[in-house]
Amino acid sequence: MTTATKNDNLWKITAGQRARYGWSIVAMAAANLAMFGAPMIGKFAIDVVVADDLGLGAAVFSIPAQWLVEGLGGNLLVWYLVLSAVGAVAVTAIGGIFLFLRGLGAAIASEAIVRRLREELYRHLHALQAKFYDDADTGDLVQRCSSDVETLRVFLSSDIVEVGRAILLVLTVTPILFWMDERLAWLSIALLPFIGIGAYAFFSKVKSLFQVTDEAEGEMTAVLQENLTGIRVVRAFARQEYETTKFAVRNAKFRDHNNRLIRLMGVYWGTQDLFCNGQIGVVLFAGALWILDGTLTVGTLFAFMTYIGMIMWPIRQMGRVLTDSGKAVVALGRMNDILRQTEESLEPTPRHGRAEGAIEFRDVTFGYDPARPVIRDFNLSIAPGETVAIVGAPGAGKSSLIRLLLRLYPHQKGSILLDGRDIAGVSRQWLRSQIGVVLQDPFLYSRSVAQNLNVGRPDAPRDHMIAAASDAAIHESIESLQNGYDAMVGERGVTLSGGQRQRLALARALLKDPPVLVLDDSLSAVDTGTEARILSAFDARRGRHTTLIIAHRLSSVRNADRIVVLDHGRIAQIGDHATLIAAPGAYRRLCEIQGSLDEQIANDVKRTRGGSHV
Amino acid sequence: MFDDANYDDGFDELALARRLRMGLWKKLFTYTKPYRKELIILASCAALTALMDVAYPLITRGVVDAVAAEGTQAQLWPYLLAYAACTVTLSLSVGGFIWAGGKIRTHVSYDIRQEGFENLQRLSFSFYDFRPVGWLMARMTSDCERLSNILAWGVLDFVWGVTVMTGIAIAMLIMNAKLALLVLMIIPVLLWVSAKFQKRILGSAREVRRTNSRITASYNESIMGVLTSKAFVREAANLDEFRNLTNGMYDASVKNLTQAAIYVPIVLTLASLATGLALAVGGLDLLGGAISVGTLVAFLAYTRHFFDPVEQLGRWFAELQMAQASAERIMSLVQAVPEVRDSDDVIEAIARNRDLPKRENYAEDGGAARIESIELKDVCFAYGNATPVLRDINFRVNAGETIALVGPTGGGKSTLVNVICRFYEPTSGAVLINDVDYRKRGLHWLQSNLGMVLQQAHAFSGTIADNIRYGKLDATQDEIVQAATIAGAHAFILEMEKGYDTQVGESGSKLSAGQKQLVSFARAILADPQILVMDEATSSVDTETEAQIQQGLNAMLSGRIGFVIAHRLSTIRSATRILVVEGGRITESGTHTELMTLRGHYFELYRQQSLNQTTRALGELTLRPA
Repeated sequence: MTTATKNDNLWKITAGQRARYGWSIVAMAAANLAMFGAPMIGKFAIDVVVADDLGLGAAVFSIPAQWLVEGLGGNLLVWYLVLSAVGAVAVTAIGGIFLFLRGLGAAIASEAIVRRLREELYRHLHALQAKFYDDADTGDLVQRCSSDVETLRVFLSSDIVEVGRAILLVLTVTPILFWMDERLAWLSIALLPFIGIGAYAFFSKVKSLFQVTDEAEGEMTAVLQENLTGIRVVRAFARQEYETTKFAVRNAKFRDHNNRLIRLMGVYWGTQDLFCNGQIGVVLFAGALWILDGTLTVGTLFAFMTYIGMIMWPIRQMGRVLTDSGKAVVALGRMNDILRQTEESLEPTPRHGRAEGAIEFRDVTFGYDPARPVIRDFNLSIAPGETVAIVGAPGAGKSSLIRLLLRLYPHQKGSILLDGRDIAGVSRQWLRSQIGVVLQDPFLYSRSVAQNLNVGRPDAPRDHMIAAASDAAIHESIESLQNGYDAMVGERGVTLSGGQRQRLALARALLKDPPVLVLDDSLSAVDTGTEARILSAFDARRGRHTTLIIAHRLSSVRNADRIVVLDHGRIAQIGDHATLIAAPGAYRRLCEIQGSLDEQIANDVKRTRGGSHV
Repeated sequence: MFDDANYDDGFDELALARRLRMGLWKKLFTYTKPYRKELIILASCAALTALMDVAYPLITRGVVDAVAAEGTQAQLWPYLLAYAACTVTLSLSVGGFIWAGGKIRTHVSYDIRQEGFENLQRLSFSFYDFRPVGWLMARMTSDCERLSNILAWGVLDFVWGVTVMTGIAIAMLIMNAKLALLVLMIIPVLLWVSAKFQKRILGSAREVRRTNSRITASYNESIMGVLTSKAFVREAANLDEFRNLTNGMYDASVKNLTQAAIYVPIVLTLASLATGLALAVGGLDLLGGAISVGTLVAFLAYTRHFFDPVEQLGRWFAELQMAQASAERIMSLVQAVPEVRDSDDVIEAIARNRDLPKRENYAEDGGAARIESIELKDVCFAYGNATPVLRDINFRVNAGETIALVGPTGGGKSTLVNVICRFYEPTSGAVLINDVDYRKRGLHWLQSNLGMVLQQAHAFSGTIADNIRYGKLDATQDEIVQAATIAGAHAFILEMEKGYDTQVGESGSKLSAGQKQLVSFARAILADPQILVMDEATSSVDTETEAQIQQGLNAMLSGRIGFVIAHRLSTIRSATRILVVEGGRITESGTHTELMTLRGHYFELYRQQSLNQTTRALGELTLRPA
């Protein structure tokens, strides 16, 4: 069974906790029964005293009262009253214990379900295909995993039992009412269906308004967040007024929708109170008339009034509860939208451990949209230990090649082989563990520097870590941080510059010591001097990894064994620096730009030699 | 979503919750000032509702006693009328307080948020340096809601609760003082227990929120870093760590719910003591004829009515205390005074000029609109009390000149530019524009004449055209295309599915780093600024595109003041003057030729750019710090 069918509806997700819910509802029923006891005891006591007739009392109190009179003496009615008082407290206390059991049961059941859902969502988000994230909105996804789960949690922890309670109350109170007095009972429940139906009708109508308000809040939050993340641009263009107006519009929209919602609630609760108190009034005055007839006792009227008060509240709540369950269904649906997305497929892990590092692309064609290929009939074979550089304009397909190699996206045609084995047939996890990659915009976890370095190899000894950091020319920068390798990265710690992040990501990949090393424009934010240090470290490592380097700077690529010039998904030129510079084409233009620079530099150096102070 | 319970911002929630801070709430309460009318309606409706709640048992009592005393002769219609009147009044006042409370709640929250936002637009960068976006978001969203809820519904709960309790007490005392005193004894006990428990419950609720925010952060990280996690095969390890969080959440939530589950039965049982007392003592009085049966019925009804107001008041006091940290935080944001702001004289000048007819060549603050020169005199700068980032900076730049800033990362180049643009002001020394200290000129005038392209290029969600248009809000399509062409962005934009109308995604996620830089550059060109700042603006752009941009940039810079920070010296070579900034000081200054002749840091940097030199210099370079 896939995760989605397991979580299809509200009934299915309670699997495993139903017994616990069962005993919660039973405990609730027991609590209610006990709580009803108190007004009943009051009714009997009033009737006994008013009529001075112990026969009208409850046997549980009148019989012991008689024993007490025999044993200790005193007034029978007084003893009856004392016992009633003690009984009322005891019955409430017993009810309280059941109430507690209900709360505990529902808490454990709902929290266990929610914990399972949270973990499933988390696991699933990691297992989803990379394609899913192309158009995904992070804020929306996080909201589904947090607010929607919370909506569901509220429903599971209180509403399920609340529904059970309302049903139980109506089912138990109605017979008691009819047993006490049939005429009054009919009158007592006359308006209740209208109250219930009215509540339901109202809440299903405002549901859309709830949604509109939520959306207005979301829009406002989005504008706020964008303003704060882009505050430097806002200031640089002095756009404060524009931004303030933009925000004010969203802020006011949220305010007005929210206000309208609350106003409607005001109308609703006002009307509800009118009906509910009207219902009690009907019982009070009809009851009074029947007391005048002598066909009803005062105590019975008191008990009636109390019971109606008791069932009125849950019935009024039913409208809200039903809306909540509606919201819970929507929330679950939104979660299932994620859970139903296809996960990456699972293939067997090859028996041999470490790959040699031979890579071959055979007639590979790929497009994020298959109708617009970004890689076309791409062929390239790379020997173990070889260093291949890829250059090309933005959008030429450089990064896409790397995504295909990592099997983040499936190519539409052709095959990619690692050590002669089609990567489509081997486990993604194994494949990825053979490749150390530095992405264009490196992501760092909000953990310590050391933990970030360790992600590819959690058991790496300290000196390996320092060696990798030194090769990536980041060791000194780390040491200069206040807590060194233990400094926290991210919002709650140090803010690293673009170049530092790239170097840290590079060190992380080097520490993994993989057969294949892939750098996607990973030195763009690193200054030339540092780049030179890193490249010389790479030189020392030459042959240890099959290396793919995407770069814009000639300095980064020109020492590669082969250089590939990519143009609109095809290889435009291939060869080593000497070969390519000899032929007309994009690479030579690149070199010419650099070459004229070189010439200039040489000239400048020469020209200024005369004034040297060195 | 934006809880920040894990971020230590110096506001200790528990310490701040220890006692009620009246001064703080008084300050916050001023936000309800514009809504005095609604506040009065709210309070009167709340009191009216409470009075009706007290009146019902009295009517019941009247009916019961009338029937018991007068039998068939009883006149019930006055009671019926009273009942009907009560019911209508109650309905109207319930509707009324919800209407008034809703208005106060939503409007106060709007007002605080708007004030906060406007202040955030004024506050200096130094304010942002120490506060993550998530922290600010939490203040502006959940804290605003929480406080406006307290201000509106708190008033309601307080007025209602106090009136109900007072009303019940008075009604009971009038009916039968002895019985009333007996029953009322339980109220202080109930209140005390309630407040104690509620505080504990809110405390564990805080732990739940805290864990929840960690879980949310964890989801966020798992989504943002999904490619990295996949590439490093972190799936299982991440899930293991996440399980610790969900287990923590389970424990915290069950603890919180258990406390609530214990609290209600205890308060109910305590309240039933009052019912028992009323029943026993009242019953005896009834036997003795001291009270009527109606009075006993009313007493029994009242004892059940204690529970609600006590619970509400208990919760209200607890929430008031627990929310004090939120209140302090949001006040710290709303009341923060921007470090960089217009002086009183400038504000006055701007106000004076607003009424005058607009004059050509003059800015809104009455000064010259055109920037002829910028001069830095002995400028020093430090963040807070930390060691200075800039020391004794002196130089002058005239319109039409471009200054290139070079030097190692962390040397102070970006800070220097931020000081020139008055995002920070010098700690000592002065920046003169047209030979006048820029603190004597309007902030908005200076900054609306800036064009900045930053290394971490920022894109807003919306289309590419929207992003470029940000530089000039009323730009035509032609102007946008022209700016994009100069910036070297036109070609790639046309290749996109919808051209200029392509959505860039949140924070420009659909654009590569290089594309974002080009769009930012186009934005700055469109702004037609007098000062153009390029901070590592083309680091992610390929060499050929960069060469194209270079021509556009040269044309662009003529007649303006330019500041260029770059590693690639091809960009820098053509600058009027080059400043080498190291350790917060200008160590070399001059034209390209002068600096080359000097054979100093610039010479080394420049030589590194040469491929032939790079290879030769490698051995030597690795021995030196970069």
